[in-house]
Amino acid sequence: MSSSDPAPRGSHAIPLLKLVNVWKRFGDGPSQVTAVANVDLQIEPGEFITLIGPSGCGKSTLFNMIGGLLPADANGSIVMNGVPQQDGELLGKVSFMPQRDLLFPWRNVVDNAILALEIEGVPKKEAREKALGMLPDFGLSGFEKHYPHQLSGGMRQRVALMRTFLFERDLILLDEPFGALDALTRAMMQRWLLDIWQRYKRTVLFITHDLDEAIFLGDKVLVMSARPGTIKCQETIELPRPREASVVTSQAFIAVKRRLLDAVEEESMKTFAAAEPPR
Amino acid sequence: MNAAARGPWRAVALPLGTIVAMAVLWEAVARGANISAHIFPPLSVVLQEAWKVGPFLARSVLRTFTETTLGFVTGASFGILCGVAFALVRPLERALFPLFVVSQTIPVVAFGALIIIWFGNTILSKVVIAFYLTFFPVTVNTHSGMLAVDPQKIQLMRAFGASAAQIFWKLRFPAALPTIAVALRLGISLSLIGAIVGEWFGDTVGLGVMLIQAMYTESVPRLWALIITCGLLGASLYAVVAVIERRVVWWRSDA
Repeated sequence: MSSSDPAPRGSHAIPLLKLVNVWKRFGDGPSQVTAVANVDLQIEPGEFITLIGPSGCGKSTLFNMIGGLLPADANGSIVMNGVPQQDGELLGKVSFMPQRDLLFPWRNVVDNAILALEIEGVPKKEAREKALGMLPDFGLSGFEKHYPHQLSGGMRQRVALMRTFLFERDLILLDEPFGALDALTRAMMQRWLLDIWQRYKRTVLFITHDLDEAIFLGDKVLVMSARPGTIKCQETIELPRPREASVVTSQAFIAVKRRLLDAVEEESMKTFAAAEPPR
Repeated sequence: MNAAARGPWRAVALPLGTIVAMAVLWEAVARGANISAHIFPPLSVVLQEAWKVGPFLARSVLRTFTETTLGFVTGASFGILCGVAFALVRPLERALFPLFVVSQTIPVVAFGALIIIWFGNTILSKVVIAFYLTFFPVTVNTHSGMLAVDPQKIQLMRAFGASAAQIFWKLRFPAALPTIAVALRLGISLSLIGAIVGEWFGDTVGLGVMLIQAMYTESVPRLWALIITCGLLGASLYAVVAVIERRVVWWRSDA
């Protein structure tokens, strides 16, 4: 846990988000597929949690449930700030960013960034002013009038992140936001994201399938199992913040990575085996 | 962009040069090859004919233009409304869309007479035929454009707490615009055809009327003058729609 966080974390503090025995099954009868099984997790205010798992393990299903887009099965519950959330109640309560940037081609950088504010009913002028003030932090100064097709992949992703940050909710959900970027851009974006996170003091749940990324960013890494997805194990990352790029070569980092790698590899192999035709 | 930067006159000069060359070729072939003027009159004769009937031709152009525009605007509006309604209300689509398709398989000339009887020998009957030819492609494209919206973008907006109306106005409708625009370009050409065909069923002024008259009197120069006029009118209308499209729907429909 980062000691720089001023928020008291006594045992009586209410977690920001708590998932208790969350399941998601699709279909009925013999063709039923269990995407997510028995997920318990807890996120404290201000935390940066990373979630790693093999592809197709139900990460995105879990995400959609936390974002309110998909109802969880009735067995379990999703509790936010101590209040259980019914179907659809989470819509508009979580700042959600899917893998693809999903920018609207007819909107320029600023107008894409203020989409969520517009939906909330913030006057356009006010929303634009707010966005313009954030442009330098997101490395987009001077690009406010540019359209998505004029931007690089990294810049588009930053516009999408800005849209997510402008939608001021306690919890930010990021689903592999850097998955489509090249390695160099990705490393830069990771450091930048940590910087932004510390400056804006938000709680982040970040999905990835890159172990280095998960350890480098997170206060805590959750490993998800192969389908049906469940939390297999978790590891608190004690690496000091702010984290430099060189931290990935430190003894502490490598020790954590070694421990997590076994768990992640095992699940990847299961996914791989499951893809083979039976018998 | 580059061509325009090198000199805007180039973009105009090249096609203009082609037109002049074709005009010269027309004149030369018609005069040189000793073809009867009844079959293939020289361009100069055609232009003289156009000049001779100038005032009537001008009134006819204005009339046909009005019919086309009215039919296009009403047909496009109706088509967009239907397309939107079909995309939003599936039962409506299932109930009415087959009917729309069947209606389009009947050639418009088959019930042209009926339209004249219903709406009278007025401008209205021509507008109705132009409308009839326009609304269908616009309906189809609006419908498919609305359905082709990236579902992940809809999910994103829902996650931000957007209402159905917000999703429609901020996402679905603008996302469908490029597809709608394609139908509008098709629609304006069809609308002109509708207006001209409508005039064939009877009227006193209009390009369709003049075409029928020229056909009965076998005035080939007049026919050519009318063909050229129809072409110019069609091209101008198309250009107007295309220019508006480029202004409003300038982005690529990459979804």
